[in-house]
Amino acid sequence: MGMDVPIPMPTDTHHLTLMQWLSPGYPVGAFAYSHGLERVVEQGAVGSADQFETWLTDILTLGTGRSDAILLHCAYRTETPHRLVELDDLARALSPSSERRMETELQGEAFARTTAAIWGSEDAPLAYPVAVGAAARRAGIDATMTCAAYLHAFAANLTSAAIRLIPLGQTEGQTVLARMTPICHDIAVQTAHLCPDDIGSCCFAADIASMQHETQYSRQFRS
Amino acid sequence: MVETPIQDLTPLTLSQTQPRAQGSARLTVKARDGRSVISRLHQQGSLKTLFPRTDGTALTAVLLNTAGGITGGDRFDLRLRAESGTALTVTTQAAERAYRANDGAGRVCTGIHIATGSRVDWLPQETLIYDHAALRRSLDVTLEPDANCLLVESLIFGRAAMGESVRALSLDDRITLRRNDKIVLADRTRLTGDAHALLAGAATGAGAGAMASLVFTAPDAADKLESARALLPETGGISQPAPDVLFARILAPDGFALRQALIPLIAHFRQDPLPRPWMI
Repeated sequence: MGMDVPIPMPTDTHHLTLMQWLSPGYPVGAFAYSHGLERVVEQGAVGSADQFETWLTDILTLGTGRSDAILLHCAYRTETPHRLVELDDLARALSPSSERRMETELQGEAFARTTAAIWGSEDAPLAYPVAVGAAARRAGIDATMTCAAYLHAFAANLTSAAIRLIPLGQTEGQTVLARMTPICHDIAVQTAHLCPDDIGSCCFAADIASMQHETQYSRQFRS
Repeated sequence: MVETPIQDLTPLTLSQTQPRAQGSARLTVKARDGRSVISRLHQQGSLKTLFPRTDGTALTAVLLNTAGGITGGDRFDLRLRAESGTALTVTTQAAERAYRANDGAGRVCTGIHIATGSRVDWLPQETLIYDHAALRRSLDVTLEPDANCLLVESLIFGRAAMGESVRALSLDDRITLRRNDKIVLADRTRLTGDAHALLAGAATGAGAGAMASLVFTAPDAADKLESARALLPETGGISQPAPDVLFARILAPDGFALRQALIPLIAHFRQDPLPRPWMI
């Protein structure tokens, strides 16, 4: 793997590269995943913009958002291919359900494949936050900026899902997303020096929702 | 070999009178004449292991925390080893109690190694979390090829029946399952702050006061998925996150409801009846 030598890139274009990697147009298929939101909407537990905002804030600060942020930062700091594989194994093993595992594996695989094809890296398929952290290191893009952008893309994708599922008005949904901006930034900063042992979640109901989603009768999303 | 008869129970002493409890135990189980028996046992401090007589060929170990609970600065360390061709069930004499901790976190480390052709069922009773508790707990299970396990951990946040809620908590609880040195499942619970408020959300606890996690491994785990799902309450879920691994999570209003949900599920994954402490 060519991750030991960051390829120098002009710093002022880094945010544009991040926008490309984490835009809905980058072919990782993010739009197909709702992280269990489709189930909680069906159950009636999330049915308004306020309820969605609470759900999303908890997912970001107490669940996958924070855990993925730590994984991304750790992948960025990882020096050897062997350690990156170990971190990737952990990232996959953290999935509580088959759909959540698919969510991180398939997006990570597609991200690594596309990025390798364009920028000429040779990464093996990695879980999504690990793949993004490793790619940012290679490209010499700031880790915290990458992490904040990754979290914002995650929040934006779930907001699009909420707009379709609940449904919410476009402006209502985007208002919630705007409130997530400082949260994404804070998580990215606070997790910058954490290690895999700091990973932990209390989003138990979200885990259960993703398990129950497997047998939900009518589904638009893969998770 | 020391085999402690179950009637020799040391009287419980409350942890408040013994603020820095320390206990450790090492147990190795081997196969002899088609039964699982104690090969080595070493225990010291506030952690005792009892071996009630049971029917069947599996060995049952009942753990007893003679300090009566866990508080800040306490340290418990348990190492279990199931040698080839054995079956071990481990439970606890009573619910564990994580008391208010004024002096750092209490630490509980459990390591279980399961050799080829063996199975360990880790079925402790609930852990009752008191307000202002601080607990760091880890359960590390390593499986050799053709080794399997059933792991259940239940947490009760305050005693709902007594109107108690957990307003301050520092909890770090982890289950790590490895097969052939590769990590296959990592359940990481982190609950720090006002647990009652944190668990109110639709993503977190949906207002529940108790939560259980269950891990089951078997080559034919997939065959048991649908039947297990049918046993779950509306606030529970089960899935197959890795090829031979099932993982379930259940939320419940209180410890009683959680146990009602868990008993049929545990029975579903066992050939033998539930250990006695679960029946009371």
